[in-house]
Amino acid sequence: MTSGDVKPIANAGERASLQGWIPELASEEEIREALEKAFDYRGDVTITRKDGTVVEGYIFDRKPGKTLRESLVRVLPKDSNQRQSIPYSEIAALAFSGRDTAAGISFHAWIRRYWEKRAAGESYDLAPETHE
Amino acid sequence: MPVPVSQMWTVATYVLRQKLAGRKRYPLVVMLEVLFRCNLACAGCGKIQYPAHVLKRQLTPEECFKAVEESGAPIVNIPGGEPLLHPQIGEIVEGLIARGKYVYLCTNALLLKEKLHLFQPSKYLTFTIHLDGEREHHDFSVAREGTYEKAIEAIRLLLEKGFRVTTNSTLFDGADPKSVRRFMDTVMDMGVEGMMISPGYSYEKAPDQSHFLAQDGARELYRQILSNRSKKWRFNQSPLFLEFLMGRRDYECTPWGIPTYNIFGWQKPCYLLQDGYADSFQELIDETEWANYGHGSGNPKCQNCMVHSGFEPSAVNDTFGSLGGLVATARAMFNRYEDPAALEALEKSNVVPAHARNPLVHIKPQESFQ
Repeated sequence: MTSGDVKPIANAGERASLQGWIPELASEEEIREALEKAFDYRGDVTITRKDGTVVEGYIFDRKPGKTLRESLVRVLPKDSNQRQSIPYSEIAALAFSGRDTAAGISFHAWIRRYWEKRAAGESYDLAPETHE
Repeated sequence: MPVPVSQMWTVATYVLRQKLAGRKRYPLVVMLEVLFRCNLACAGCGKIQYPAHVLKRQLTPEECFKAVEESGAPIVNIPGGEPLLHPQIGEIVEGLIARGKYVYLCTNALLLKEKLHLFQPSKYLTFTIHLDGEREHHDFSVAREGTYEKAIEAIRLLLEKGFRVTTNSTLFDGADPKSVRRFMDTVMDMGVEGMMISPGYSYEKAPDQSHFLAQDGARELYRQILSNRSKKWRFNQSPLFLEFLMGRRDYECTPWGIPTYNIFGWQKPCYLLQDGYADSFQELIDETEWANYGHGSGNPKCQNCMVHSGFEPSAVNDTFGSLGGLVATARAMFNRYEDPAALEALEKSNVVPAHARNPLVHIKPQESFQ
């Protein structure tokens, strides 16, 4: 197969949202899988540490290591500029608490709206997210 | 007005210095994402899907200067989001110019009139206006009516004031090659310095997943667009990169050639993929598993990518890598790529772009936009 035969990748923009999900973190495999999904998630998450402290924010990085103690996520808290690095081993609970900003948006939805608006003689403009 | 000789000289001597120093991985351009927020919600963009508190943040001028100096790259590209939304964008551009960097400020031009007083014409500053094609195509692409007109007005204003101006066009599946060629005639007639074009890439989070170009489709589209060129067309891009787009050359990706810096740090591995962040440029270079990316890696996320941020540095490296590369580049600069087969394919092509065909009958109900 030549490189020119390559087909488009999966329709990631239309996958199911994880918003509201509270994963089980019983095994190492579950912890790693959940945190990989949290890294990929375009919304805030809430992490509860084993010492009871809670951080809500956006996971912008993760560094998987050989052990849970050597693995960590990096979080930009919602209400602070102080980034936090949290070892996987210190995480007691995880919730996909914030709105998934990538969910439910697809080309099909856009083009349907475009044609509906045009047919009605209305503006088809899309507004960006508000930042307030 | 062509690219200034001083800029070509700066880039050429920079690349040669890196080669003489034996530096294996060096940046050519830094993509400085000063913020993520935008005043448009383009269907093909995957850069703006973040929580509100992330969208409200932005790089400080000092963070911008530190990152650019750390990288050593001679050119800085400021994309977004929309960089003119940054309250200190004038200061950032001025500071980069003071450091001898050639700055390409990429904007949709909606705020240009009210922000233009922040900038002075300079050989170091180029406004790169986002224009994806003719009026209907562009307005559809950025999901806002009237945007094409505003961009055209902005180009006229910038040229009148003596600024360097280029256009930047992303082409998606369904682009009409005849329309694209007409569009290129139009912008060159306006007097822009050059044009930049690139295939759209399927950002994992981009809403428009179905219209990104696979490699075979992209090559055929670019062959039809870029063969049999008008004499007036000029590109602010490597001529060998354009040959790559036309399928005349094959390159492997050079993701470190145009690295990205934003509020999270240095993005691994490239402008398009987000596989984590490094806190310093050196950490990006040293700790990214580069073998995991590019066509040859087998990484499915890389297989369809032909985007300039990965392949233009490969083309530049080819130019300066051998005498043959230099000769090929010199030839390419004067080549109109006469190709009767491409012309025939162009004449026969009957592409009906998405904005010109009503597909509602085929569409199942889905979640809607706002």
